[in-house]
Amino acid sequence: MKKMIALTMTTMMAVMAFTGCGGTQKTEEQNQNTNQEQNADSGEQYVIGISQYGQHASLDNCREGFLLGLEESGLVEGKDFIVDYQNAGFDDNITQQIAQSFSAQNVDLMCAIATPSATACYAAAEDKNIPVIYTAITDPVEAKLDNAPNITGTSDKLPIDGQMQFIRELQPEAKTIGILYTTSEPNSVSAVKEYQEKAEQYGFTIEALGVTQQSEVVQAADTLISKKVDCFTNLTDNNVVGVLPSILEKTNAAKIPVYGSEIEQVKLGCVASAGIEYVALGKQTGAMAAKILKGEATADDMPYETITDFQRYINPEALTNLGITVSDTVTAESIDATK
Amino acid sequence: MSTLLDLCISTLTQGFVYALLSYGVYITYKILDFPDLTVDGSFPLGAAVTAVLLLKGINPFITLLIAMLVGALAGLVTGTIHVKLGVRDLLAGIITMTGLFSINLQIAGSNLAVERSVDTIFSIPMLQDMPLMYRKFIVSLILAVLVKLVLDWYLKTKNGLLLRAVGDNAALVTTLAKDKGIVKIQGLVIANALVALCGAVVCQEQRAFSSTMGTGQVVFGLATVIIGTTLFRKLSFFKATTAVLIGSVLYKMCIQIAISMGLPANLLKLVTAVLFLVVLVLGNRQKGAVEHA
Repeated sequence: MKKMIALTMTTMMAVMAFTGCGGTQKTEEQNQNTNQEQNADSGEQYVIGISQYGQHASLDNCREGFLLGLEESGLVEGKDFIVDYQNAGFDDNITQQIAQSFSAQNVDLMCAIATPSATACYAAAEDKNIPVIYTAITDPVEAKLDNAPNITGTSDKLPIDGQMQFIRELQPEAKTIGILYTTSEPNSVSAVKEYQEKAEQYGFTIEALGVTQQSEVVQAADTLISKKVDCFTNLTDNNVVGVLPSILEKTNAAKIPVYGSEIEQVKLGCVASAGIEYVALGKQTGAMAAKILKGEATADDMPYETITDFQRYINPEALTNLGITVSDTVTAESIDATK
Repeated sequence: MSTLLDLCISTLTQGFVYALLSYGVYITYKILDFPDLTVDGSFPLGAAVTAVLLLKGINPFITLLIAMLVGALAGLVTGTIHVKLGVRDLLAGIITMTGLFSINLQIAGSNLAVERSVDTIFSIPMLQDMPLMYRKFIVSLILAVLVKLVLDWYLKTKNGLLLRAVGDNAALVTTLAKDKGIVKIQGLVIANALVALCGAVVCQEQRAFSSTMGTGQVVFGLATVIIGTTLFRKLSFFKATTAVLIGSVLYKMCIQIAISMGLPANLLKLVTAVLFLVVLVLGNRQKGAVEHA
């Protein structure tokens, strides 16, 4: 009996010591880096915690852009700042723990990529009042992060006008656009609303179909196909984009073109997209973060920013397969995503 | 050092908060021998109700009670489907969980955020001078211990003893001229009230409700119950509820260690699986040792 108690206590202490070890080791390593690279500069070195919701091409591009943006603002990684990058693997509980560990470490700034990470970082930052900068949130207003204290960032709101204009140019005869979206994603709900409001201007009607989880998406695609929509357009809906290949299989068989919301989807086989460039979005975010770190502005001084430029991407092979002819001007001003 | 202390405190807080869910799973899984999957639905249910009520300006403590009531209702549905309609336990839970997904969204409308200006149970005036992190720690500790004590007391009452009998020896309950079905339903009601309470507290702590926040909670609950009860099964003075509480803390601690060591997120679930296996094997070894002796 006593042995058991001893054993339990040892285990628990080992666990505690282990946590400690993990933490200290890291700081020591970081300190070493600092000493090596920061000989001349005795200024403060910032610690930036990056919490990314999951591994996903667009989100990775955001992070890459964010670091570039900091660099362009004159901050050098390893010298002026160090990064603690964590990825939650699309698990909401993990986003909470990541955010809390940033808060415990007293990082100088948290960078949250995608809405769930931003919500968690914002909650964990409340105590220490650590500035949070987010990116890849489509609708910060809906997420109630627009007027919130000590948080700002960039939104990846879709260029919906640009997309409908592009569809109109590629399919002059098209009447209905099909959209699949997840009803619980505020980003998607607001995008669908905007599509519906603006469709008339471009002579379209919108056939939107909501799902609640990923397993329903492919069936919903079947439903839209049976309603004879002229094309599909994607949002930045994680559930839908996650099963894009199976959607494309069905739509290609039915000869219905699918327009992506960003370049990565066009690479996967969507015909075209008027999409934002996530690296550029990340850069813009990085520049904002640099201002906060340098003390030039606070998060409260800067309202969230959207990116107005977008780029046209095409997938010539997919377009040819679906019998869509592309004018030379369109080809000239678009980027071939497959190259 | 302060980083480490902060990290320990926030990890303990997480462990205490989620222990509320573990108590619920302990009742269904260990006491009733009922694999209750309602948890994945009743956890976000508690959060959805809380988020909506908080935004309406209801007192945060009252929202906890309402969340528990609604959670109890979810347990009642699973119990009724199982006992009265004769659907298998696993399926009864799945049915309620699936239905709750829609109901949660219907209640909340969509994912919800609660602004910082809204008071939560963690912003009680008595502790106003303390940093938020410590307030969260104290409130969650009190909640976890309070619920544990109430549960310990309940399980010793006549009603609680009947509950324990249903899982161990259902025939006994029948010989006592009690309806074992009703007792089972009671257990599910209590368990899901606790799970919803946990969802409510998490919602107040995170200031958010998300429709997917329930995913995987039942697995977490089972893991903590098994870790706790296996590690501490030989310590007779350790109440099972205490073991479950510590199990919850240990689980969150392991995940935190994995994160602190910079383990890629994609591997975190594997850590859980290995942890699970190690504890189970350890438990079996202990049992073996007793049998050989």
